[in-house]
Amino acid sequence: MYWLRGGFVFTRVVSPFHRLDPRIKLLVSLEFFLTSLITKTVPEVLAVLLAILGVAALAKSLKRIARTMAFSGLFALFIFAVNFLFGIGLLNAVVYSVRFLAIISSTSIFFVTTSPDELEQIMTWMHVPRDVVFAFVTAVRFIPVVMLDALQIMDAQKSRGLEFERGNVVKRVRNMVPIMIPLVVNSVIRSGELAEAMESRAYGSTPKPTSLYKMNLRWYDAAVAAAGLAVLAAVALYIYHYVHFGA
Amino acid sequence: MKALDGVTLSIGGGETVAIVGENGAGKTTLVRHTNGLLKPTSGSVKVDGVETRSTTTATLSRKIGIAFQNPDHQLFSDSVENEVRFAMRNFRFPEERIAERLEWALSFFGLEQYRKSSPLVLSGGEKKRLTLASILAWDPDVVVLDEPTVGQDSLQKAKLAQIFSLLRSTGKTIVIVSHDVEFLWPLQPRLVVMSGGKVVADGEMAKTMADRGLLEGARVTQPQLLRLYAGLRDAPASPFVDVSQARDWASGKKSGRRGG
Repeated sequence: MYWLRGGFVFTRVVSPFHRLDPRIKLLVSLEFFLTSLITKTVPEVLAVLLAILGVAALAKSLKRIARTMAFSGLFALFIFAVNFLFGIGLLNAVVYSVRFLAIISSTSIFFVTTSPDELEQIMTWMHVPRDVVFAFVTAVRFIPVVMLDALQIMDAQKSRGLEFERGNVVKRVRNMVPIMIPLVVNSVIRSGELAEAMESRAYGSTPKPTSLYKMNLRWYDAAVAAAGLAVLAAVALYIYHYVHFGA
Repeated sequence: MKALDGVTLSIGGGETVAIVGENGAGKTTLVRHTNGLLKPTSGSVKVDGVETRSTTTATLSRKIGIAFQNPDHQLFSDSVENEVRFAMRNFRFPEERIAERLEWALSFFGLEQYRKSSPLVLSGGEKKRLTLASILAWDPDVVVLDEPTVGQDSLQKAKLAQIFSLLRSTGKTIVIVSHDVEFLWPLQPRLVVMSGGKVVADGEMAKTMADRGLLEGARVTQPQLLRLYAGLRDAPASPFVDVSQARDWASGKKSGRRGG
């Protein structure tokens, strides 16, 4: 639960990274994502991961990203085990599992530092239809509420003797049914109520609504974007050179 | 920030205790400690002499049944019957005992006609009764009810009050967390008033509710019958517990005046 709550939900923090234009945060996150995909050796992919952690430190979110990584570590171990057992080789298995951690962390750093309002601005800037933007941003806003619901449902079922950690894998999956059904039902009820409340407040009556906030690129946004693109280009050139001409 | 601070409370078997206080006073946090959903970071919580830290929620829940405020946070089964059976199966009751307790619970809460219905299609009051039925079915020694009257109409509240009276007569320990002083007043439970994570008063309801300064500090209102009693010139020795007592007193006065 913490993995989702801590790793993908925005927290208001004063940091140089938080102050960046949301488009630049998205660009940085995408750069890390792409870099982790194109790197091929253990030191390279580890360097990407360390760079992400560096940015997380700059964003004063290192602890949260580190926790996200710790929880993702279980999946990374699974990826490692599957790849290793299927004979892909030890080093390649390590690359795949570390790459998974880098991908999760690069995504996490964007969501942790970008508020729902900023998400809305980015999507509007990308000309995503308004209703889709609204649905997406509302879903993001409701993550903490759904998390709270999930915790309360878990408490209610634990109080009725349900032990989540008991039994084999199949039993543990079945133990999630008493959590998932009330959670889904509550979410559906809540979305219906929200839709009615929005319509009652004239949602959709303005064909082209204006926004109070505008995104503005400042000099340091441009500097970060240029630096990020330069690093991505350098990494791409290095990989190209490595693949075509050998080390 | 401490959610609970310096709370010392002991509840004996068969007692009926109401915990009142403003939002954020720590009432729900306190009751979540009773079955080990929350463990104290300092101090201790003991149930039948056993530290909650040293046992599991499932073990404690066998003795302490908590009915949470929102029934939608627990109902998930395909039928009312299965909803009631759920906890008993978790506690590994034999099937014959489950069948016996199921019949008792459905009949006690007037839910027999819905036994095959989905719990999700029941009304708010029926859902609330079903959550209580699903808890009392396993016959816990202690029943904890978090805001049982929220979202209930006056008829449902009267039904709940009847249920509590019946439970009291069976010797169950009942803990009610509520803002609804009007509902609590006729039950006359032991009253625990909480404010800022602390227990600020603990005693008989009639006496505690008479302390207006205390209630104002804890942002709790006096019940209407007590306010009426306090405003009377030649009031009886003790406050009216329900409307019928006040009515009887008023008619006695009226006939006394006629006679005089």
